[in-house]
Amino acid sequence: MNTTAHLLSPELDTRRIVTVGLVLAGLGVAAFLATLAAQHPQRAWQAFLINFLVWSAMAQGAVLFAAVMQVTRARWSGPLPGLAASFSAFFPISLLLFAVVFAGRRHLFPWLHEDLHGKQAWLNIPFLFSRDGIGLVVLYSLGFAFISQDLRLAIGANTGAGRLRACLLGRPGNTTDPQSCLARARVLGVLYIMAYALVLSLLGYDLVMSMDPHWVSTLFGAYTFVKAFYIGLGALIILAAAVRLRLGDTCGLTDAHFADIGKLFFAFCLLWADFFYVQLVVIWYGNIPEETSYVITRTMTAPWNHLAWTVLFVCFIMPFCILLNRRVKTRPRFMIGLCAVILAGIWLEHLLLLGPALGPGTAGFHIGLPEGLITLGFLGAMAAAVAFFLKRFPELTRAAPPASEKTST
Amino acid sequence: MKKSADALHQHVMGLFRSEDQAAAAIRQLAQSPWKLRRVHSPVPSHKIAAALALKKSRVGLFTLAGGIIGFFSGFGLAIYASTQWHLIVGGKPVVALVPFVIVGFEFTILFAVFGNVLGFLTQTGLPTFKRLPHYDARCSGEHFGILAACRPEQHRELAEFFTRQGGEPRIFDAPSPTRGQAP
Repeated sequence: MNTTAHLLSPELDTRRIVTVGLVLAGLGVAAFLATLAAQHPQRAWQAFLINFLVWSAMAQGAVLFAAVMQVTRARWSGPLPGLAASFSAFFPISLLLFAVVFAGRRHLFPWLHEDLHGKQAWLNIPFLFSRDGIGLVVLYSLGFAFISQDLRLAIGANTGAGRLRACLLGRPGNTTDPQSCLARARVLGVLYIMAYALVLSLLGYDLVMSMDPHWVSTLFGAYTFVKAFYIGLGALIILAAAVRLRLGDTCGLTDAHFADIGKLFFAFCLLWADFFYVQLVVIWYGNIPEETSYVITRTMTAPWNHLAWTVLFVCFIMPFCILLNRRVKTRPRFMIGLCAVILAGIWLEHLLLLGPALGPGTAGFHIGLPEGLITLGFLGAMAAAVAFFLKRFPELTRAAPPASEKTST
Repeated sequence: MKKSADALHQHVMGLFRSEDQAAAAIRQLAQSPWKLRRVHSPVPSHKIAAALALKKSRVGLFTLAGGIIGFFSGFGLAIYASTQWHLIVGGKPVVALVPFVIVGFEFTILFAVFGNVLGFLTQTGLPTFKRLPHYDARCSGEHFGILAACRPEQHRELAEFFTRQGGEPRIFDAPSPTRGQAP
């Protein structure tokens, strides 16, 4: 009986996901504090910074997908932009986590104790945190403003309760003009896309590239935001596949949606690898010791060279070979597994970029229980945030009503 | 079996202005005793392709094979050319794989395109210099044409079928036995 009723009206158990997510987040906080109190606080801060960058980029990249769909007037994506919007729930958490990064500044920025040869005008803690903090506030404000208009278009007038709904959809009873919402959504979408490119470039330069203050790559900013879109699409595919598995056809997601977003994911897998190679080949040709030392440390000295090959295989070679096939893109379970492996690969890529800078030799090579638990904590925070958003906006996980019904409401 | 297939000498084409009606007619035709010979579409149509329920095209395999051959050919050519000179330039190794990726990549794309074109030509039987039998020039304009074959005594029934589906039927003369059948 119970099973039959369940199948007739499937729903996302958002409350349970929020609870489990919060428990995992608590576990992550405990692991972080325990590692911090142990002999090597550096290890805790390194894991924290990697996770902050990876999970924030995931949310920023997923929301970028919604903005791109709106700005390009795409019609193929169906319910995917609505699901992508749910990642905006991680924005406030990301901002809070950025404030925590400030607390670990002494452990995170090796250049604090170095002679910067004139770069101190740019690389100093007050200026760095001010510009990055302002950048994140602007990016997230534009993201929420865009999502607000996008949701008004998708859902219409607010008929439910809750502060988040009132904040994003307006108070219940307020009418919305679809034409003005559309115009505003497109303008805000463009602004979000521009801010995304600028702010993620800034974060890439300040929080990753600056860890080796004497190494410079002008392409590093673009590499950072392309990578963020890549993992944002990966996270969105995981969410969409989970929703499809749980809700079936009632969510409005079809094989064609998965095939199309799978193609986009494949394209950004190629673009990410292209940006990686474009940086590498210029350094290789230039052969300037200031530039090559960064690459040699990471690709030719153990254990980083093994990690570099692992990242290349997991984030490019493997998905390239697999995603050539159309059918696998439409299999939700398979795509969840593949995207999870790629996201883990990008986590390792952050370790590869930051580890050698934060600890000389192999001192920064930390992959163990503390890193696993801290990562689980971030996963829990993301899952809880997304589930909370979808709980407040259940329309996003349901197939859109026919046009005639929609206009009548 | 062969006898019954050979008996379908008469060809009737249904001409449709609507893509949806043409797709529906194709689906209905599959459940009828008549034989679907050919479909002409003035534009690429996913609906028509879905209604035809064709087997997956092999053109992609030709493209993939071309790409793989190109990848190894590109690296092979670059390595072969470098080893013919054995000159160390700028302190770089003679066989330097990092810059050879560019040659490998370009050859991958080039040979994939060659494979694609070759696959397209071989799988579609192009080029053909024979005039297509039972063709209506309106299919090059704005009509979807569905060509079906039936026994000579059934042609009116088949024409009515196309009319019921919303199309305009055109009955072609039955070919003489020496001219053979439509592909």
